[in-house]
Amino acid sequence: MKVFRAHILVCGGTGCRATGSEGILGSLTRELASRKLTDEVVVVETGCNGFCAAGPIMVIYPEGTFYQYVKAEDVPEIIEEHIIKGRPVQRLMYKEPVTDAPIPHMLDIPFFGKQMLIALKNRGLIDAEKIDEYIARDGYMALAKALHDMNPDQVIEEIQKSGLRGRGGGGFPTGMKWSFARKSAGDVKYVLCNADEGDPGAFMDRSILEADPHAVLEGMIIGGYAIGASHGYIYCRAEYPLAIKRLNLAIQQAKDYGLLGEDILGSGYSLEIEVYQGAGAFVCGEETALMASIEGKRGMPRPRPPFPASKGLWMKPSVLNNVETFANIPQIVLKGGQWYSSIGTERSKGTKVFALTGAVNNVGLVEVPMGTPIGDIIFDIGGGIIGGKQYKASQLGGPSGGCIPAEALNTPTDYEEIVKLGAIMGSGGLIVMDEDTCMVDTARFFMEFCQEESCGKCTPCREGTKRMLQILERICRGEGRDGDIELLEDLAANIKDSALCGLGQTAPNPVLSTIRYFRSEYEAHIYEKRCPAVVCADLFKSPCQHACPIEMDVPAYIALIRAGRLDDAYRVMKKTNPFPGVCGRVCPQFCANKCRRGQLDEPIAIAWLKRYIADNGKLPKVEEVPVTRKEKIAVIGAGPAGLTAAQDLAKRGYKVTVFEELPHAGGMMRYAIPEYRMPRDIVEGEVDEIRALGVEIKTNTRVGKDISFAQLRKDFDMVLVAVGAHTSWKLEIEGEDLTGVWGATEFLREVNLGKNVKIGSRVAIVGGGNSAIDAARTAVRLGAKDVTILYRRERKDMPAWENEIVAAEHEGVKIVYLVAPTRLVGKNGTLNGVACQRMLLGEFDRSGRRKPVPIEGSEYVLSIDTIIPAISQNADTSFIESGSDLELDKWGGIKRAPKSTVKTTAPGVFIAGDAATGPATVVEAIAMGHQAAAEIDSAIREKNGEPPYKEPPEEKIDIPFEVDEEAKETPRAIMPEMKVADRIISFEEVELGYSKKTAYSESCRCLRCDAEL
Amino acid sequence: MSITIDGKECTFQPGQTVYEVARENGIYIPVLCHQEQLKPVGACRVCVVEVEKARSLIASCAMPAEKGMVVWTNTDRVKTSRRLSVELLMTQGHHNCITCESSGDCVLQNLGYSLGVEHPRFPEPTEIKAIEDGNEMIARDMNKCVLCGLCVRACNEIQVNQVLDFSGRGPTASVGPAFGVLYENSECVFCGECVRVCPVGALFEKQGRFQGRAGDLEKVRTTCVYCGVGCQMDLNIKDGRIVKVTTPRSDAPPPNGGSLCIKGRFGYDFIDHPDRLTSPMIRVDGELREASWDEAVAYVADKLTKIRTKHGSDAIAGLASARCTNEENYLFQKFFRAVIGTNNIDHCARL
Repeated sequence: MKVFRAHILVCGGTGCRATGSEGILGSLTRELASRKLTDEVVVVETGCNGFCAAGPIMVIYPEGTFYQYVKAEDVPEIIEEHIIKGRPVQRLMYKEPVTDAPIPHMLDIPFFGKQMLIALKNRGLIDAEKIDEYIARDGYMALAKALHDMNPDQVIEEIQKSGLRGRGGGGFPTGMKWSFARKSAGDVKYVLCNADEGDPGAFMDRSILEADPHAVLEGMIIGGYAIGASHGYIYCRAEYPLAIKRLNLAIQQAKDYGLLGEDILGSGYSLEIEVYQGAGAFVCGEETALMASIEGKRGMPRPRPPFPASKGLWMKPSVLNNVETFANIPQIVLKGGQWYSSIGTERSKGTKVFALTGAVNNVGLVEVPMGTPIGDIIFDIGGGIIGGKQYKASQLGGPSGGCIPAEALNTPTDYEEIVKLGAIMGSGGLIVMDEDTCMVDTARFFMEFCQEESCGKCTPCREGTKRMLQILERICRGEGRDGDIELLEDLAANIKDSALCGLGQTAPNPVLSTIRYFRSEYEAHIYEKRCPAVVCADLFKSPCQHACPIEMDVPAYIALIRAGRLDDAYRVMKKTNPFPGVCGRVCPQFCANKCRRGQLDEPIAIAWLKRYIADNGKLPKVEEVPVTRKEKIAVIGAGPAGLTAAQDLAKRGYKVTVFEELPHAGGMMRYAIPEYRMPRDIVEGEVDEIRALGVEIKTNTRVGKDISFAQLRKDFDMVLVAVGAHTSWKLEIEGEDLTGVWGATEFLREVNLGKNVKIGSRVAIVGGGNSAIDAARTAVRLGAKDVTILYRRERKDMPAWENEIVAAEHEGVKIVYLVAPTRLVGKNGTLNGVACQRMLLGEFDRSGRRKPVPIEGSEYVLSIDTIIPAISQNADTSFIESGSDLELDKWGGIKRAPKSTVKTTAPGVFIAGDAATGPATVVEAIAMGHQAAAEIDSAIREKNGEPPYKEPPEEKIDIPFEVDEEAKETPRAIMPEMKVADRIISFEEVELGYSKKTAYSESCRCLRCDAEL
Repeated sequence: MSITIDGKECTFQPGQTVYEVARENGIYIPVLCHQEQLKPVGACRVCVVEVEKARSLIASCAMPAEKGMVVWTNTDRVKTSRRLSVELLMTQGHHNCITCESSGDCVLQNLGYSLGVEHPRFPEPTEIKAIEDGNEMIARDMNKCVLCGLCVRACNEIQVNQVLDFSGRGPTASVGPAFGVLYENSECVFCGECVRVCPVGALFEKQGRFQGRAGDLEKVRTTCVYCGVGCQMDLNIKDGRIVKVTTPRSDAPPPNGGSLCIKGRFGYDFIDHPDRLTSPMIRVDGELREASWDEAVAYVADKLTKIRTKHGSDAIAGLASARCTNEENYLFQKFFRAVIGTNNIDHCARL
């Protein structure tokens, strides 16, 4: 045998071929020939390597160096550097996602490291078209062992012992299936391989057939020997030309070697195997339909019994197994059932191959031991979600499976456990979906697939899925009706119970599982005509507007910037947002998260453009609205929720009085957000516009002290509680009574009140949200020398905005990840340290993030003199007298009336903002303020028997339509900032705002999704 | 061996289905896509029953009885499922009973009525397909087809003409001759077996259209006059006229078991044809005149006697008709051999 000094393995799976691996092969041949290396270096085209996302892939041995995204043009460099000079090409290596450090060896890449290969044993290692390479890796040894050392019953016994279950999805014990077929009387029997892989997103079978066809053949021959079959068929869909080519080649080679055909290996056993090409009907994956198809009939399922083991193909006893099942057989025979059953869980043994695809970084083929949590596959092997988006769900088991939500990420890959979730293991398609996926639309997609692929034989599947699809289509169009969810459930239950074959019986699963886990999303579509994931385009004009809680007409004001009409742009913003200047600075921008421009390069800087308008546009003078209604309304709390409601109610002719404990109106906008992010005059200016409508704001007036809550309810017809959430949560650890311990909200409030706040020089902040960052950056400005944020998870898990985190780091704030304070240490009643424990990320929590778990014995003490916990806040409800009809929950928060967002349990008392939701955002508070105002008004009108309020005709502002012919890739315009040295010594606003030119160019990036063409 | 159906112990023969056992024991299970002469396919799911320990509902028409099986045919779960299947079928096309030829003799109509599907929850499709009535025998209204597949099986299993099959998948599934051609352009021989088994109004006799329906028609069982097989068929009569010829869907008598050929099923218009002789005729001086049967028979007997006396028995020969029954042909040859005394007897089919 010829020995080479290097082997260059180029992946020749369908995925890598599609991205150009054949060109690489050509280039390699030429390059090696021109450098006269043909005798030293051999090039092998292998089957699918598995890491399809990184293709085309090249692996060079003996080192095992992994190169990704290789192009034909890279070949000369690889030969020159790697082969000749022995210097691996770093730029083509896989990079660690966080550190960006190159990982040279394939098995060190996390994608490969956590896998365990049995069915995929030879993937990416051998030339699938050469039987010798398969034999060199112990190929056909199992066959020899079975034929010469074992009788058929012993083979079956070994398979039974292994616990192997059908990998096509059903999970029926393979050994048992074989024993039935063996016991069936008949001189003609068939062994059949199901390679009719049809699930959307599934490519396991194809990859195995392309990478290792002999493994499947060997499994089939052993199976045929076990049951006594004389003939076998591989039913492979015609859309897999490469798999069919390699299978036929493998059959011919095996025959030539006496491994197939007459008298195999001289054992006296004979078996012929043929490939039968399927025409691509999904239903032909169902065993009875598959057999009908091989018989030359229309591929339609028939009722069972009789089962194929007794009457299968041509009414003869038959065994049908999936590709992956057969690929496992040789290893089981060779290494023993005992070995195989030592892998996996109690009832699911061995490994399972998954086709990992969708919104996951490492799309590819994955083989893991049964029992591996789904989250491990997605996050450790799959590398998490593309673009740092949030994980939403995965579809497991294709159109017959179900959606698995974030709370089920810890579920082990085990047949029974997955069924409990409403999904099925299926053949192994694992489609990952991120936050931008609408679950109703997903259900609609799968239902459309099932409907089209229904053979049309039985009523429930043919007609029932059609009806389900129609209902889902209606819901996605915004024509959903009350009762639709129940009708879907009713149809689904009946179809599952009465359909003829597996296709129909499982077709409703995607709908049922999405209703089970994402019912609120269905309800949003049906009752609010809203698609929370912003996918169902019939429900909105533009994604940004739909994503905004107050539906700001983003494309309109951006278009008006482009047209130079800033005053009009301002008026557009003010239609739904009383605080555009505030939102332009601190809005989390749900809009930008859904901005279509983000799919091209980066989302539009919507908030910064909003700020530009608010800072530079002018509004007409606000006129006082005459009071036309007799009812008086009190609002407690002059934050965004309360003031928005006050504004809306004043505009409807009500006399509104706002009670505010603090000296200035603005709530959190004024007292929690530091001035360097939110200059006071911005808040003041926007509050003044509300005051100008006639709203009375009584500052320095605390309800519960200056006026009792009960009295307020007597004096006013309706009361809105919008007190915010101003009380910081405690850490609930030892030492919180020490001097030097501050709540973040209280700390920020004191500073914003202009008090002379004294803090130490070494400050620790606990938490990972924006409040933590605000507290840290404020501490820096107050002169702290050493500011450290302690966060119990990793950076990617921090809820704070990325630009805020970066700004804090620039200002010298240190962030320590994976630590949590366990106790506060002090001397003489004064804090001097915090004991911290290091954390490890464990199981997934309901949010889809890994839960930090303390590492025993890892405690250490950080020397500090101030600590500011910024973990969350709640509302101060001490103003409510005991015995009030306003019910509180067990944490002291105000309970809301069932199925209501703004009603409380007490008549005439409404609630909005953080007081209702816990710490949220300004824009959400504004949205709730609008809603509370509308509901207060309609409650009054209803009581009086008046007709509902009619909105005055909307102010008409002509919106120009101008877009660039072709959108060139341009990143989002950068926000100019103060220099770090200047900003850490003052509370001046850090972000300086866009210039006219920048704002104009940024506005031109808008793709105008709102256009109706 | 026995199974328990609705609490009643029922014995069965191996190979019998649950449906058959129930029927034998007087337990009613509705069926739509099932017909005793055809292989069960379990497609319509109207015959579903609950079998204890089974994961889902079972189509009783296709389920072989197994020792010890416990079956429930009328639980809420079963009724809900049947009602939904029928509801889905009722709305899958346009089942306009007002002008339907099958009204009063329609399996779907009976099911919808007996299950009380008063207001189906699903809208009918907007598309209305044109009725195919380009030939004189079989008309098709695919708006009413429920895809039970009985026509397909009748064509393939009973008549073995292999003209009809399914095509398309899911929402586009349909039945008919290959490549969607019309019956008259296909290999169809117009035996009408498909019309006979159609449980709804999708396939019907064109000549009988708008001539009368189940309640208006009197059925007269008769033997087909076209050949010697003796096929039993029902003349459907209204106001003394034959409107159409039918054969029963089930319990059809031998020898034909409900099957007919194109002539028997569709070739009855000669009966009312004006050219048809309605009494015996005797030719006198070159002119035909009407005669009574007694007169005609006496005339023939007299002539035959005279010929035999004068010229001998072998001067007479008889030629029988293929349109007579076997019994008639038997009598005819007996008459020639035993009464006339000659073996000069033959049959038109040998000409």
